Amino acid sequence: MKQLAIYLFVLLCLSGCETVQPWERGTLAKREMQWQPDPMETSLQAQVNSSKEASSGGQGAAGGGCGCN
Amino acid sequence: MASRPGDKHPALLALTSSALLLPAYQGVRADAPPEFIELGTRYSKYEEDNTQGSKTFGGSSQRYEVDAAQFHLLAPVLDSWAVAVDVQWEDMSGASPWFVGQSLDGGPKVIMSGASIEDTRTEVSVTTRYYYDRGNAGFNYVHSDEDDYESNAVALDGAFNSADGMTTYSAAISTSADDIEPTQGSVPTNTLKDNKDISSAWIGVSRIVSKNAIVRFGLAYTYRDGFLTDPYKKNDRRPSERNEWAFSTGYRQYFFWPDGALQADYRYFDDDWGVASHTLDLAWHQNLGERTQLIPFLRYYSQGEADFFANIADTDKRHYSDDYRLSSFGAVSGGLRVRHEIGNWALSAVGERYETDESWGVYSGQESPALVNYWRYSFGLDYIFR
Repeated sequence: MKQLAIYLFVLLCLSGCETVQPWERGTLAKREMQWQPDPMETSLQAQVNSSKEASSGGQGAAGGGCGCN
Repeated sequence: MASRPGDKHPALLALTSSALLLPAYQGVRADAPPEFIELGTRYSKYEEDNTQGSKTFGGSSQRYEVDAAQFHLLAPVLDSWAVAVDVQWEDMSGASPWFVGQSLDGGPKVIMSGASIEDTRTEVSVTTRYYYDRGNAGFNYVHSDEDDYESNAVALDGAFNSADGMTTYSAAISTSADDIEPTQGSVPTNTLKDNKDISSAWIGVSRIVSKNAIVRFGLAYTYRDGFLTDPYKKNDRRPSERNEWAFSTGYRQYFFWPDGALQADYRYFDDDWGVASHTLDLAWHQNLGERTQLIPFLRYYSQGEADFFANIADTDKRHYSDDYRLSSFGAVSGGLRVRHEIGNWALSAVGERYETDESWGVYSGQESPALVNYWRYSFGLDYIFR
Protein backbone atom coordinates (compact mmCIF):
# COMPACT_ATOMS: atom_id res chain seq x y z
CA MET A 1 0.00 0.00 0.00
CA LYS A 2 2.83 2.33 0.93
CA GLN A 3 4.61 1.61 -2.37
CA LEU A 4 1.43 2.20 -4.32
CA ALA A 5 1.04 5.59 -2.66
CA ILE A 6 4.60 6.44 -3.63
CA TYR A 7 4.07 5.48 -7.27
CA LEU A 8 0.89 7.52 -7.43
CA PHE A 9 2.69 10.48 -5.95
CA VAL A 10 5.40 10.17 -8.60
CA LEU A 11 2.88 9.94 -11.44
CA LEU A 12 0.99 12.93 -10.07
CA CYS A 13 4.13 15.04 -9.98
CA LEU A 14 5.30 14.02 -13.44
CA SER A 15 1.97 14.77 -15.04
CA GLY A 16 1.98 18.31 -13.66
CA CYS A 17 5.18 19.47 -15.35
CA GLU A 18 5.28 22.09 -18.11
CA THR A 19 7.32 21.42 -21.26
CA VAL A 20 10.63 23.27 -21.15
CA GLN A 21 12.47 23.57 -24.46
CA PRO A 22 16.21 22.80 -24.58
CA TRP A 23 17.09 26.47 -25.09
CA GLU A 24 15.15 27.34 -21.94
CA ARG A 25 17.21 25.11 -19.63
CA GLY A 26 20.11 27.46 -18.85
CA THR A 27 19.02 28.02 -15.27
CA LEU A 28 18.74 24.28 -14.71
CA ALA A 29 22.42 23.90 -15.66
CA LYS A 30 23.56 26.22 -12.87
CA ARG A 31 25.72 24.80 -10.14
CA GLU A 32 23.12 25.44 -7.44
CA MET A 33 20.51 23.40 -9.36
CA GLN A 34 22.59 20.20 -9.35
CA TRP A 35 21.72 17.32 -7.02
CA GLN A 36 25.27 17.33 -5.70
CA PRO A 37 27.00 20.67 -6.34
CA ASP A 38 30.07 19.55 -4.35
CA PRO A 39 30.46 15.75 -4.58
CA MET A 40 33.52 15.57 -2.32
CA GLU A 41 31.67 17.43 0.45
CA THR A 42 28.55 15.31 -0.05
CA SER A 43 30.57 12.10 0.04
CA LEU A 44 32.32 12.97 3.30
CA GLN A 45 29.14 14.18 4.98
CA ALA A 46 27.32 10.98 3.99
CA GLN A 47 30.18 8.86 5.32
CA VAL A 48 30.14 10.65 8.69
CA ASN A 49 26.36 10.40 9.00
CA SER A 50 26.24 6.71 8.09
CA SER A 51 28.92 5.91 10.70
CA LYS A 52 26.94 7.64 13.48
CA GLU A 53 23.41 6.63 12.52
CA ALA A 54 21.64 3.34 11.77
CA SER A 55 20.45 4.49 8.33
CA SER A 56 22.50 5.05 5.22
CA GLY A 57 22.27 5.36 1.47
CA GLY A 58 19.20 5.95 -0.59
CA GLN A 59 20.92 8.19 -3.16
CA GLY A 60 22.38 5.38 -5.24
CA ALA A 61 23.64 1.82 -4.87
CA ALA A 62 25.30 1.29 -1.49
CA GLY A 63 28.85 0.29 -2.45
CA GLY A 64 31.31 -1.05 0.13
CA GLY A 65 31.57 -0.52 3.84
CA CYS A 66 34.23 0.72 6.21
CA GLY A 67 35.16 0.11 9.82
CA CYS A 68 34.32 3.70 10.69
CA ASN A 69 33.36 4.12 14.35
CA MET B 1 19.64 32.31 -19.27
CA ALA B 2 23.22 31.27 -19.84
CA SER B 3 25.34 29.64 -17.19
CA ARG B 4 27.99 31.68 -15.44
CA PRO B 5 31.60 31.07 -16.48
CA GLY B 6 32.30 29.28 -13.23
CA ASP B 7 29.41 26.85 -13.51
CA LYS B 8 30.36 23.22 -13.85
CA HIS B 9 29.07 21.21 -16.73
CA PRO B 10 26.04 19.16 -15.61
CA ALA B 11 27.43 15.98 -17.05
CA LEU B 12 30.69 16.59 -15.24
CA LEU B 13 28.79 16.87 -11.99
CA ALA B 14 26.95 13.67 -12.83
CA LEU B 15 30.20 11.80 -13.24
CA THR B 16 31.82 13.15 -10.10
CA SER B 17 28.72 12.22 -8.14
CA SER B 18 29.03 8.67 -9.27
CA ALA B 19 32.71 8.57 -8.51
CA LEU B 20 32.26 9.40 -4.87
CA LEU B 21 28.94 8.06 -3.74
CA LEU B 22 28.84 5.34 -6.32
CA PRO B 23 26.13 5.73 -8.91
CA ALA B 24 23.94 8.42 -7.56
CA TYR B 25 22.33 11.47 -9.01
CA GLN B 26 22.42 12.41 -12.64
CA GLY B 27 22.27 16.00 -13.73
CA VAL B 28 19.66 17.49 -16.00
CA ARG B 29 21.62 16.27 -19.01
CA ALA B 30 23.25 12.89 -19.03
CA ASP B 31 24.43 12.66 -22.62
CA ALA B 32 27.63 14.72 -22.89
CA PRO B 33 31.12 14.08 -21.46
CA PRO B 34 32.97 16.77 -19.49
CA GLU B 35 34.79 19.39 -21.55
CA PHE B 36 37.76 20.05 -19.25
CA ILE B 37 40.10 18.30 -16.83
CA GLU B 38 39.33 19.11 -13.22
CA LEU B 39 41.40 18.70 -10.05
CA GLY B 40 40.17 19.10 -6.49
CA THR B 41 41.34 18.56 -2.93
CA ARG B 42 39.73 18.84 0.53
CA TYR B 43 41.08 18.76 4.06
CA SER B 44 38.52 18.02 6.78
CA LYS B 45 38.61 17.80 10.56
CA TYR B 46 35.96 15.82 12.46
CA GLU B 47 35.88 16.18 16.25
CA GLU B 48 33.41 14.61 18.70
CA ASP B 49 32.54 16.26 22.02
CA ASN B 50 33.85 14.55 25.14
CA THR B 51 31.37 12.17 26.77
CA GLN B 52 29.72 13.94 29.71
CA GLY B 53 31.06 12.84 33.09
CA SER B 54 27.55 12.25 34.44
CA LYS B 55 26.92 9.68 31.72
CA THR B 56 30.09 7.64 32.09
CA PHE B 57 31.87 5.47 34.60
CA GLY B 58 35.25 7.02 35.12
CA GLY B 59 34.38 10.64 34.39
CA SER B 60 34.56 12.72 31.21
CA SER B 61 36.18 10.92 28.31
CA GLN B 62 37.63 12.10 25.06
CA ARG B 63 35.98 10.59 21.98
CA TYR B 64 36.81 10.25 18.32
CA GLU B 65 38.53 12.68 16.00
CA VAL B 66 39.38 12.25 12.34
CA ASP B 67 41.62 14.12 9.92
CA ALA B 68 40.66 13.47 6.30
CA ALA B 69 42.23 14.46 2.98
CA GLN B 70 40.47 13.99 -0.35
CA PHE B 71 41.84 14.26 -3.89
CA HIS B 72 39.82 14.25 -7.09
CA LEU B 73 40.70 14.06 -10.79
CA LEU B 74 38.20 14.13 -13.62
CA ALA B 75 39.24 13.98 -17.26
CA PRO B 76 37.52 13.60 -20.62
CA VAL B 77 38.92 10.76 -22.74
CA LEU B 78 38.47 10.67 -26.54
CA ASP B 79 35.07 12.01 -27.64
CA SER B 80 32.65 9.94 -25.61
CA TRP B 81 34.46 8.79 -22.49
CA ALA B 82 35.51 10.23 -19.16
CA VAL B 83 37.47 8.88 -16.21
CA ALA B 84 37.41 9.97 -12.58
CA VAL B 85 39.91 9.02 -9.86
CA ASP B 86 39.24 9.80 -6.21
CA VAL B 87 41.54 9.13 -3.27
CA GLN B 88 40.61 9.63 0.37
CA TRP B 89 42.95 9.28 3.31
CA GLU B 90 41.87 9.38 6.96
CA ASP B 91 43.68 9.34 10.28
CA MET B 92 41.43 8.37 13.21
CA SER B 93 42.13 8.45 16.95
CA GLY B 94 40.26 8.54 20.25
CA ALA B 95 37.97 6.33 22.31
CA SER B 96 34.56 4.87 21.50
CA PRO B 97 31.79 3.43 23.73
CA TRP B 98 32.65 -0.14 24.81
CA PHE B 99 29.46 -1.05 26.66
CA VAL B 100 26.71 0.39 28.86
CA GLY B 101 26.35 -0.63 32.50
CA GLN B 102 23.93 0.13 35.30
CA SER B 103 24.95 2.71 37.89
CA LEU B 104 24.08 2.54 41.59
CA ASP B 105 21.07 4.80 41.03
CA GLY B 106 19.80 2.41 38.36
CA GLY B 107 20.54 4.64 35.39
CA PRO B 108 22.66 3.53 32.42
CA LYS B 109 26.22 4.77 32.13
CA VAL B 110 28.69 4.17 29.34
CA ILE B 111 32.12 2.61 29.66
CA MET B 112 34.52 3.92 27.04
CA SER B 113 37.16 1.81 25.33
CA GLY B 114 39.82 3.51 27.44
CA ALA B 115 43.09 3.49 25.58
CA SER B 116 43.13 5.55 22.44
CA ILE B 117 42.24 3.83 19.15
CA GLU B 118 44.60 4.65 16.27
CA ASP B 119 43.73 3.76 12.69
CA THR B 120 44.21 5.00 9.16
CA ARG B 121 42.04 4.41 6.11
CA THR B 122 42.86 4.80 2.44
CA GLU B 123 40.16 4.66 -0.23
CA VAL B 124 40.77 4.68 -3.97
CA SER B 125 37.87 4.97 -6.40
CA VAL B 126 38.06 4.77 -10.20
CA THR B 127 35.09 5.47 -12.46
CA THR B 128 34.90 5.21 -16.23
CA ARG B 129 31.88 6.53 -18.06
CA TYR B 130 30.65 6.27 -21.65
CA TYR B 131 28.31 8.89 -23.10
CA TYR B 132 25.88 8.23 -25.91
CA ASP B 133 23.13 10.23 -27.58
CA ARG B 134 20.51 9.77 -24.91
CA GLY B 135 22.47 9.05 -21.76
CA ASN B 136 25.53 7.47 -20.21
CA ALA B 137 26.76 4.30 -18.54
CA GLY B 138 29.43 4.00 -15.86
CA PHE B 139 31.61 1.42 -14.15
CA ASN B 140 33.07 2.09 -10.72
CA TYR B 141 35.62 0.24 -8.57
CA VAL B 142 36.39 1.21 -4.96
CA HIS B 143 39.08 -0.23 -2.72
CA SER B 144 39.13 0.75 0.96
CA ASP B 145 41.88 -0.37 3.31
CA GLU B 146 42.20 0.07 7.10
CA ASP B 147 44.32 -1.66 9.75
CA ASP B 148 41.30 -3.81 10.65
CA TYR B 149 38.98 -3.60 7.62
CA GLU B 150 39.27 -4.08 3.86
CA SER B 151 36.56 -3.57 1.25
CA ASN B 152 36.40 -4.10 -2.51
CA ALA B 153 33.30 -2.88 -4.32
CA VAL B 154 32.18 -2.64 -7.94
CA ALA B 155 29.16 -0.85 -9.36
CA LEU B 156 27.42 -0.34 -12.68
CA ASP B 157 25.05 2.49 -13.40
CA GLY B 158 23.23 4.03 -16.31
CA ALA B 159 21.08 7.02 -17.19
CA PHE B 160 18.69 7.46 -20.09
CA ASN B 161 16.98 10.67 -21.23
CA SER B 162 13.44 10.75 -22.59
CA ALA B 163 13.06 11.92 -26.20
CA ASP B 164 12.11 15.45 -25.12
CA GLY B 165 14.92 15.54 -22.54
CA MET B 166 12.48 16.38 -19.78
CA THR B 167 12.99 13.16 -17.86
CA THR B 168 16.09 11.17 -16.95
CA TYR B 169 15.74 7.56 -15.83
CA SER B 170 18.63 6.12 -13.82
CA ALA B 171 19.56 2.78 -12.32
CA ALA B 172 22.53 1.33 -10.48
CA ILE B 173 23.69 -1.93 -8.96
CA SER B 174 26.68 -2.62 -6.74
CA THR B 175 28.30 -5.42 -4.79
CA SER B 176 31.10 -5.49 -2.27
CA ALA B 177 33.19 -8.01 -0.34
CA ASP B 178 34.41 -6.77 3.04
CA ASP B 179 36.95 -8.43 5.39
CA ILE B 180 37.13 -7.61 9.10
CA GLU B 181 40.16 -8.37 11.28
CA PRO B 182 39.87 -6.40 14.53
CA THR B 183 43.02 -5.00 16.08
CA GLN B 184 43.79 -6.82 19.31
CA GLY B 185 44.67 -4.32 22.01
CA SER B 186 42.95 -2.36 24.70
CA VAL B 187 39.62 -4.21 24.70
CA PRO B 188 38.74 -7.82 23.86
CA THR B 189 37.02 -8.16 20.48
CA ASN B 190 34.10 -10.44 19.71
CA THR B 191 35.72 -11.96 16.63
CA LEU B 192 39.25 -12.50 15.38
CA LYS B 193 38.45 -12.51 11.67
CA ASP B 194 35.24 -12.38 9.67
CA ASN B 195 33.63 -10.99 6.55
CA LYS B 196 30.44 -9.60 5.05
CA ASP B 197 28.97 -8.86 1.63
CA ILE B 198 26.83 -5.93 0.56
CA SER B 199 24.60 -5.96 -2.53
CA SER B 200 22.53 -2.99 -3.57
CA ALA B 201 20.23 -1.75 -6.33
CA TRP B 202 18.77 1.66 -7.00
CA ILE B 203 16.37 3.19 -9.50
CA GLY B 204 15.69 6.87 -9.90
CA VAL B 205 13.90 9.37 -12.09
CA SER B 206 14.49 13.10 -12.34
CA ARG B 207 12.10 15.42 -14.10
CA ILE B 208 12.21 19.05 -15.20
CA VAL B 209 9.24 20.74 -13.56
CA SER B 210 9.71 24.23 -15.05
CA LYS B 211 12.46 26.50 -16.36
CA ASN B 212 13.53 27.00 -12.75
CA ALA B 213 12.69 23.77 -10.98
CA ILE B 214 13.58 20.09 -11.06
CA VAL B 215 12.42 17.13 -8.98
CA ARG B 216 13.68 13.59 -8.49
CA PHE B 217 12.58 10.35 -6.84
CA GLY B 218 14.57 7.25 -5.99
CA LEU B 219 14.13 3.79 -4.51
CA ALA B 220 17.03 1.80 -3.11
CA TYR B 221 17.35 -1.72 -1.75
CA THR B 222 20.42 -3.03 0.08
CA TYR B 223 21.13 -6.53 1.36
CA ARG B 224 23.90 -7.12 3.89
CA ASP B 225 25.06 -10.62 4.70
CA GLY B 226 27.75 -11.83 7.10
CA PHE B 227 29.33 -10.41 10.24
CA LEU B 228 27.29 -7.24 10.89
CA THR B 229 28.21 -6.98 14.58
CA ASP B 230 30.55 -4.24 15.82
CA PRO B 231 33.68 -6.23 16.77
CA TYR B 232 34.76 -3.68 19.40
CA LYS B 233 31.50 -3.59 21.41
CA LYS B 234 31.30 -5.89 24.44
CA ASN B 235 27.53 -6.43 24.34
CA ASP B 236 26.82 -6.67 20.64
CA ARG B 237 25.47 -9.59 18.66
CA ARG B 238 23.46 -8.66 15.58
CA PRO B 239 21.61 -10.73 12.99
CA SER B 240 23.78 -11.96 10.11
CA GLU B 241 21.41 -10.51 7.49
CA ARG B 242 19.89 -7.10 6.96
CA ASN B 243 17.42 -5.94 4.31
CA GLU B 244 17.18 -2.17 3.86
CA TRP B 245 14.86 0.00 1.78
CA ALA B 246 15.11 3.72 1.20
CA PHE B 247 12.79 6.08 -0.62
CA SER B 248 14.25 9.47 -1.45
CA THR B 249 13.08 12.61 -3.15
CA GLY B 250 14.69 15.95 -3.93
CA TYR B 251 13.70 19.33 -5.26
CA ARG B 252 15.64 22.33 -6.59
CA GLN B 253 14.00 25.70 -7.19
CA TYR B 254 15.86 28.75 -8.51
CA PHE B 255 14.72 32.30 -7.68
CA PHE B 256 15.89 35.14 -9.94
CA TRP B 257 15.51 37.41 -6.95
CA PRO B 258 17.57 37.16 -4.82
CA ASP B 259 19.66 35.05 -7.27
CA GLY B 260 19.58 31.92 -5.16
CA ALA B 261 18.20 28.41 -5.04
CA LEU B 262 16.38 26.26 -2.53
CA GLN B 263 17.75 22.73 -2.24
CA ALA B 264 15.49 20.24 -0.43
CA ASP B 265 16.04 16.50 0.00
CA TYR B 266 14.11 13.89 2.00
CA ARG B 267 14.74 10.20 2.71
CA TYR B 268 12.62 7.57 4.41
CA PHE B 269 14.57 4.50 5.53
CA ASP B 270 13.22 1.17 6.75
CA ASP B 271 14.81 -2.21 7.47
CA ASP B 272 14.05 -5.64 8.92
CA TRP B 273 15.96 -4.89 12.13
CA GLY B 274 13.12 -2.59 13.14
CA VAL B 275 15.01 0.60 12.35
CA ALA B 276 13.10 3.34 10.53
CA SER B 277 14.18 6.93 9.98
CA HIS B 278 13.29 10.26 8.43
CA THR B 279 15.97 12.60 7.07
CA LEU B 280 15.31 16.11 5.82
CA ASP B 281 18.07 18.24 4.29
CA LEU B 282 17.51 21.90 3.45
CA ALA B 283 20.00 24.33 1.98
CA TRP B 284 19.82 27.82 0.56
CA HIS B 285 22.38 28.51 -2.18
CA GLN B 286 22.89 32.28 -2.30
CA ASN B 287 24.95 33.79 -5.11
CA LEU B 288 26.85 36.96 -4.22
CA GLY B 289 27.86 38.35 -7.59
CA GLU B 290 29.38 36.09 -10.22
CA ARG B 291 31.99 34.28 -8.17
CA THR B 292 30.93 33.89 -4.54
CA GLN B 293 28.33 31.58 -3.03
CA LEU B 294 27.08 31.35 0.57
CA ILE B 295 25.20 28.16 1.40
CA PRO B 296 23.64 27.82 4.86
CA PHE B 297 22.25 24.33 5.46
CA LEU B 298 20.12 22.50 8.01
CA ARG B 299 19.55 18.76 8.51
CA TYR B 300 17.02 16.96 10.68
CA TYR B 301 17.27 13.24 11.36
CA SER B 302 15.14 10.94 13.49
CA GLN B 303 15.45 7.18 13.87
CA GLY B 304 13.60 4.46 15.76
CA GLU B 305 15.60 1.86 17.68
CA ALA B 306 16.42 -1.64 16.45
CA ASP B 307 14.27 -4.48 17.83
CA PHE B 308 17.24 -5.91 19.74
CA PHE B 309 18.54 -2.63 21.18
CA ALA B 310 18.54 -2.06 24.94
CA ASN B 311 20.71 0.23 27.05
CA ILE B 312 21.43 -2.69 29.36
CA ALA B 313 21.77 -5.49 26.85
CA ASP B 314 20.20 -8.84 27.68
CA THR B 315 22.98 -11.17 26.60
CA ASP B 316 20.78 -14.24 27.09
CA LYS B 317 18.85 -13.27 23.98
CA ARG B 318 19.80 -14.43 20.49
CA HIS B 319 20.51 -10.86 19.32
CA TYR B 320 21.33 -7.84 21.46
CA SER B 321 23.13 -4.52 21.30
CA ASP B 322 23.66 -1.46 23.49
CA ASP B 323 25.21 0.51 20.60
CA TYR B 324 23.84 4.07 20.73
CA ARG B 325 23.71 4.08 16.93
CA LEU B 326 20.87 1.56 17.10
CA SER B 327 18.88 3.55 19.71
CA SER B 328 16.02 5.99 19.15
CA PHE B 329 17.18 9.58 18.86
CA GLY B 330 16.83 12.79 16.93
CA ALA B 331 19.68 14.82 15.47
CA VAL B 332 19.86 18.39 14.23
CA SER B 333 22.85 19.66 12.32
CA GLY B 334 23.53 22.88 10.53
CA GLY B 335 26.32 24.90 9.10
CA LEU B 336 27.61 27.11 6.36
CA ARG B 337 29.41 26.44 3.10
CA VAL B 338 31.34 29.21 1.34
CA ARG B 339 32.80 29.09 -2.16
CA HIS B 340 34.77 31.73 -4.03
CA GLU B 341 36.14 31.48 -7.56
CA ILE B 342 39.32 33.21 -8.75
CA GLY B 343 39.85 32.56 -12.44
CA ASN B 344 40.11 28.81 -12.90
CA TRP B 345 40.57 28.30 -9.16
CA ALA B 346 37.87 27.84 -6.54
CA LEU B 347 38.31 28.06 -2.76
CA SER B 348 35.74 26.50 -0.44
CA ALA B 349 35.16 26.13 3.30
CA VAL B 350 32.55 24.31 5.39
CA GLY B 351 31.67 24.41 9.09
CA GLU B 352 29.07 22.05 10.61
CA ARG B 353 27.70 21.36 14.11
CA TYR B 354 25.81 18.08 14.80
CA GLU B 355 23.82 17.55 18.02
CA THR B 356 21.68 14.63 19.20
CA ASP B 357 18.99 14.15 21.80
CA GLU B 358 16.52 11.34 22.41
CA SER B 359 13.70 13.85 22.91
CA TRP B 360 14.22 15.41 19.47
CA GLY B 361 13.14 12.26 17.65
CA VAL B 362 9.68 11.29 16.47
CA TYR B 363 10.19 7.71 17.69
CA SER B 364 10.03 6.73 21.35
CA GLY B 365 12.67 4.61 23.04
CA GLN B 366 15.35 4.47 25.68
CA GLU B 367 17.83 7.36 25.78
CA SER B 368 21.36 6.11 25.26
CA PRO B 369 24.04 7.77 27.43
CA ALA B 370 26.49 7.49 24.53
CA LEU B 371 24.80 9.78 21.96
CA VAL B 372 27.36 11.82 20.08
CA ASN B 373 27.73 15.52 19.21
CA TYR B 374 30.46 16.77 16.90
CA TRP B 375 32.05 19.60 14.94
CA ARG B 376 33.26 19.26 11.35
CA TYR B 377 35.36 21.71 9.34
CA SER B 378 36.52 21.43 5.76
CA PHE B 379 38.69 23.48 3.41
CA GLY B 380 38.94 22.92 -0.32
CA LEU B 381 40.74 23.98 -3.47
CA ASP B 382 39.62 23.17 -7.03
CA TYR B 383 41.20 23.88 -10.40
CA ILE B 384 39.70 23.44 -13.84
CA PHE B 385 41.90 23.37 -16.98
CA ARG B 386 39.80 25.69 -19.06
